[in-house]
Amino acid sequence: MRKFAKRLAALWHRHRLDRDLEDELAFHLAMNAQHGGRPFGNTTAFKEACRDLWAFPTLEAWWHDLRFAFRMLVNTPLLTAAAIVALALGIGANTTVFTVVSSALHFDMGVDHIERLVALHPGEGLNSLDPALQAPTDFLNLRGQIKTVDHLAAYRFFAANVSDSHALPERFWCVQMTPSGWAMVRQQAILGRGFGPEDERADAQPTVLLTHKVWQNRYGGDPAILGKTIRVNDEERVVIGVMPVGAQFPEDADLWTPLTLRDVSDPVVRRELLVFGRLAPGVTLAAAQSEVNGVAKRSIASQVNGPVVRVRLFLEMIGVYQVRPVLIAMVFAVGFVLLIVCADVANLLLARAAARAREISIRIAIGAGRARIVRQLLVESVLLATAGGVGGWLVALAGLHWFDAMSSQGHRPSWMHFSMDAHVFAYLAAISIGAGILFGLAPALQLAKVDVIGAIKDGGRGAQGPRGRKLAGMLVGIQMALCVVLLAASGLLIHSTVKLYNAPLSVDASHVLTMRLDLPAAKYSSPDRVNAFYAQLKAALTSVPGVTRVTLGSHIPMLGFRYTRGQAQGGTAQQLAVITAGEDYFRTFAIRMLRGQAGRGQAVVNESFALKYWPGEDAVGRRVQVGGRSFDVSGVAADVQADVMHPLDRFAMVYLPFDGDPHASVFVMARTAVAPGRLIEIFRRTVQGLDANLPAQDVTPLADRIALQRLNVSSFSLLFAIFAAIALALAWVGLYAVVAQAVSRRTQEIGIRMAMGGTRRDIFALVVKQGMRQVAWGFVAGIPLALVVSRALSRQLVGVSPLDPATYVGVAVVLGLAGFLGSAIPARRAVRVDPLAALRYE
Amino acid sequence: MGRSDRGELVQGTLDMLVLKTLVRGPMHGWGIAQSIQQISEEVLRVEEGSLYPALHRMELDGLIDAEWGQSENKRRAKYYRLTTRGLKALDEETAHWQQLARAIARVMETA
Repeated sequence: MRKFAKRLAALWHRHRLDRDLEDELAFHLAMNAQHGGRPFGNTTAFKEACRDLWAFPTLEAWWHDLRFAFRMLVNTPLLTAAAIVALALGIGANTTVFTVVSSALHFDMGVDHIERLVALHPGEGLNSLDPALQAPTDFLNLRGQIKTVDHLAAYRFFAANVSDSHALPERFWCVQMTPSGWAMVRQQAILGRGFGPEDERADAQPTVLLTHKVWQNRYGGDPAILGKTIRVNDEERVVIGVMPVGAQFPEDADLWTPLTLRDVSDPVVRRELLVFGRLAPGVTLAAAQSEVNGVAKRSIASQVNGPVVRVRLFLEMIGVYQVRPVLIAMVFAVGFVLLIVCADVANLLLARAAARAREISIRIAIGAGRARIVRQLLVESVLLATAGGVGGWLVALAGLHWFDAMSSQGHRPSWMHFSMDAHVFAYLAAISIGAGILFGLAPALQLAKVDVIGAIKDGGRGAQGPRGRKLAGMLVGIQMALCVVLLAASGLLIHSTVKLYNAPLSVDASHVLTMRLDLPAAKYSSPDRVNAFYAQLKAALTSVPGVTRVTLGSHIPMLGFRYTRGQAQGGTAQQLAVITAGEDYFRTFAIRMLRGQAGRGQAVVNESFALKYWPGEDAVGRRVQVGGRSFDVSGVAADVQADVMHPLDRFAMVYLPFDGDPHASVFVMARTAVAPGRLIEIFRRTVQGLDANLPAQDVTPLADRIALQRLNVSSFSLLFAIFAAIALALAWVGLYAVVAQAVSRRTQEIGIRMAMGGTRRDIFALVVKQGMRQVAWGFVAGIPLALVVSRALSRQLVGVSPLDPATYVGVAVVLGLAGFLGSAIPARRAVRVDPLAALRYE
Repeated sequence: MGRSDRGELVQGTLDMLVLKTLVRGPMHGWGIAQSIQQISEEVLRVEEGSLYPALHRMELDGLIDAEWGQSENKRRAKYYRLTTRGLKALDEETAHWQQLARAIARVMETA
């Protein structure tokens, strides 16, 4: 400690230390002169040795290295700038993608161990539609029996009309969940309390919890709201608490109400329930599934031919989770871009290393250790990478801004925030320093092995040794291999996007305007009232100029359907894809009727359905049973894509007549003669004219809805294409640089070859062959890697196999072309070599 | 720097010799070197390149103290002085050295 203080004092009085050393030396020399003595020897070494003692040896050396590195970088401004820009792009792209992916896959919904949450869906195993047989595996019975899933809970999610004395009635999204689910929620109410077991009793007082957003926006953040009564779907509920910002479980809701035992006993409610829980510690998904199967077997074995209830990961229901492989592939892709940048910078440094061989040799000759040299060079490259990292941070800021704007066009869950937190900065720092060491190590080791005598004699002409050339060639090969992976991935995605966009839609989407309505069940409590409202609305909309036909239904064609348990005549009970279609549904969308027609109170099946259940028979006149009701089939409609994202899949589907269910959301759809966007305002006002408190939601042209759905695939393709383009450009630069260097190094050889009668053609071929060899190596090495990555993307591909030959041929062509251009340009310079000048060159 | 095979100091003994020399009183670097040389009858030669770093190191370690003073020829000179820690270190080193010397002597006599 005292030593440290003495050194610190010496550091502070640096000039005094120097003067003292001088004086001590001068005194010694004077004494020698006066009294005779041995010559002193190297006085500089003496001063150095003493000064080092007083210094902080490592610290000072690092500081020295850093200053020297800074000078070296400033001395070659062009090279430094090029390296920093490339690194900034690479590091920035990586940081952006890391931020986006880590926040997208964080699933921060306020629940611990969300990855162990499971959802229990109805399975295909029950061979009957008899509701009595379902009872043993319903929520309440399962909850009493199974041990492998803790906190078994159920919820439903619906739009609710909220009214009170504060403001006009408002439509909110409401989660009604059993209080058992609340045991899993990490956040505590910031005001009042959350739900507890007492709220589940059938006779419990009806209560409601507010999100922070609703509390702020509707109630002005007034704590006095606690204990007040508000009306939720015309039912009086006492506000018991307010949740903090970020509490969003299990859906993006505005308020929560408890699901009581009385609610659960209502068959309408029970039909909509989503059952979930958390796997007990140490329990696997398979173990939970087999326990649930056991419950079904014990009670209803005779009717079971498979899982009656399917246990799945809760996260699988979240859209982002489904694209997880693509997100992870994206992290790899952008990582490859950084690797390619590193290889480029390493090549730049290798080229400079050749020029610095003499300087390094001299430093080694006068006594610098090789380790010290390596350290010095690494400090230089890490400094370079740090500058790149700072640039990368700026690039990431811009990238995130862009991504934020882009993704907010789609449906982004509210728990997903793209912010650069401490993790992101740690990542940024790690990849910057890692990149610095990665691209600096090879050139540094290369230089430290320099042949001292040779390099000094060489006059520092900067010949790159054969080892350095081999290394540069290898780096180019690696770059090309990484390029192959990115080109293949983006090629597959682009091909798939093209297929997706080119797949003919079964329905003409160009002149259709759509909107969603959720009639409050309290006001529109019976099918008659619902139907009366829609009849009025339909009449009002049909009379709007520019509207040719209006219909309604539970879903828009190509944009979804509902699974309901049902049974086709002669088949077994299973989940059927169902759309509820109002009058004129088929005519509005020009869906062809292959047989019969839509009839009042009757069902229509599509072609695939008829083929699946009644092959070779007439479907008309058959019966389907859905959700406890039975329908005559009156017509067979042409197949319509069930999902725009999978336009090539055929899907059995049944259309049921619109029944005015007061609990259901309804889409109102109109075919227009004018651009549908121009009618949005009129539609909104028309709805309001009929019911001032009813908001028309998502009034959007159908084409826009479809584009939004496709945004997913097309934006992934776009991102991959950007990465691949950057990668190709960078790899091209790497190849060009190496070949160009080879040409200038071999100028003399080329001159001799020409003098000996080599034609320009021979020379050109010689140079191009050298470049193409590296490209070929890269291609061969990259293909296996590309196959692995494209497998990860396979779920994102539409109508394109991960082994799509056209894509791989395309990759080969693009790579070959890039390789040819990269070597042909320097090769042109080579053929212009004047043999005489080249021979004089030495 | 004129190294001779003989008279080169055994590794690690320089510190001990310097400390021993300083027992007689404060002295400057040149004086220490001269003193060791004279007392050893010119057998031991102290190289300045080793002496000064050793002095500075011992100063840092607190075995000796230094202060600037006037030399006999009216020059500014740095005088080194033994500290109590240095004295203790000298005792230890002396004991260690004697043990070592005896051991070497025994080996040489029996051989």
